[in-house]
Amino acid sequence: MRKYIYLIIGALCLASAVYANESQIWGEMRIQNILGYGQEESWKLGPLFTMLQSQYFAWIFLGVLLGVPAVFFMHYKIVGPKVFPHSEKKYYAFNLYNRIIHQVAAVSFLVIVPTGFIIVFGDFFGGGTLVRMAKNLHGIFTIPFTIVVIPMALMWLKEALFNLDDVKWFLILGGYLSKEKQIIHASQFNAGQKMWYWVAILGGITMIFSGAFMFFLDFKMEMLHNLTGMSQIDLLRAAAILHNVMGFAVVALFITHVYMSMFAIKGAVHSIITGYVEEEEVKFLHNKWYKKLKDQGKF
Amino acid sequence: MSNEMARMKFYCDDHRCIECFACSVACAEAHELPTGISRRKVITLHDGVEGKEVSTSIACMHCTDAPCEQVCPVDCFYIREDGIVLHDKDKCIGCGYCLYACPFGAPQFPRDGAFGHKGAMDKCTMCAGGPLETNSEKERHLYGQNRIAEGKVPMCAAVCSTNALLVGDAESVSNIYRKRVAGRGQRS
Repeated sequence: MRKYIYLIIGALCLASAVYANESQIWGEMRIQNILGYGQEESWKLGPLFTMLQSQYFAWIFLGVLLGVPAVFFMHYKIVGPKVFPHSEKKYYAFNLYNRIIHQVAAVSFLVIVPTGFIIVFGDFFGGGTLVRMAKNLHGIFTIPFTIVVIPMALMWLKEALFNLDDVKWFLILGGYLSKEKQIIHASQFNAGQKMWYWVAILGGITMIFSGAFMFFLDFKMEMLHNLTGMSQIDLLRAAAILHNVMGFAVVALFITHVYMSMFAIKGAVHSIITGYVEEEEVKFLHNKWYKKLKDQGKF
Repeated sequence: MSNEMARMKFYCDDHRCIECFACSVACAEAHELPTGISRRKVITLHDGVEGKEVSTSIACMHCTDAPCEQVCPVDCFYIREDGIVLHDKDKCIGCGYCLYACPFGAPQFPRDGAFGHKGAMDKCTMCAGGPLETNSEKERHLYGQNRIAEGKVPMCAAVCSTNALLVGDAESVSNIYRKRVAGRGQRS
């Protein structure tokens, strides 16, 4: 953990020091950067980024922003939410540490996602102060997320490993397509939650690094240069493409996560606020976990 | 003569460029650019290798299909009728997308805020200022001199001692270059 923080701070200091001396973009490497634009043997990331950013990214984000909630709205109207009694026995599943880590990430996401959309649709907002502020908040709120992403990854890693039950879960989509309450054979986290875990953790880390690249421009990563043979500007282009594409997945699953906890399972959000999960919820949606807890005499 | 509107272009004749840096110094002086911002840069390849050394001067090339203009998320770029590519610094959020799209590394970013965040982008305006009132104090402050409005040649080309750096409508520039190439007895 400490090593990780040092790495980040070190990289930031290095980035500004490098910038002060000689920029890789406008200095020595400028020609190399230019050649990488359209030469036969290059990756042609320049034209690729230009094409994707000018024609596709904003539309795909709009599709995700409207499409995912639209699907859930239909789900809410047709299938409806799952309602479990909240007066039954409870089990204390998330301790204070779990909740604080989760809430820091939650607040970060609640700022990062909307500000990201303001940047993507910057022309709609007319640019200037508002969008500039969104861009700055987008970067500043990455810091708290960066701090909690590793602790969060570690505290839920064991529960987030996929197993054979998850295949069954995916086949019936967790029973969310039926109005009846089915007994779902899942442990503490079901396959959907596991999917979100991996997208949030691995996707989140990818977003942090690609974002840092774009924020600092001269972020020096010898390892990446050597590994890929790409020039700095091509790494920036790759970072921008990756940041957008990964953004689709993170945003889509973030909306799903919010819908599930707030609407699809009525009141489920309270479990991460108070730390207590409801017996009925666990019995139906996480039956394997329920049996284990029952054996231990927790209910 | 075509009856289409002329498109303004830069061209640097690398047979004439003597790497004197006058263009980039004059540009920085004329527009009072802060340190760390160089709208125009002189680049030398194969430095010191006899017969292979070549120098040229690079700035915004005012592309006809400017990729910066296509990728800008806040649409702050506009292309004038004469082909000069300009941008609105009050709209710009300093995201850096134009730099990734640019084949020439032309967009520059001042580090003027806290934590070294990028300020509004700065680039060569072909000495044509910006969207603000022509020759106003604010335009001069944000974009530098507006020499085009005064009927003057852009600073870099004006000071080029060997006339390596050509600027003007594309047709005149290519006519001059063609004459030079013919005079040198080259094929291209």
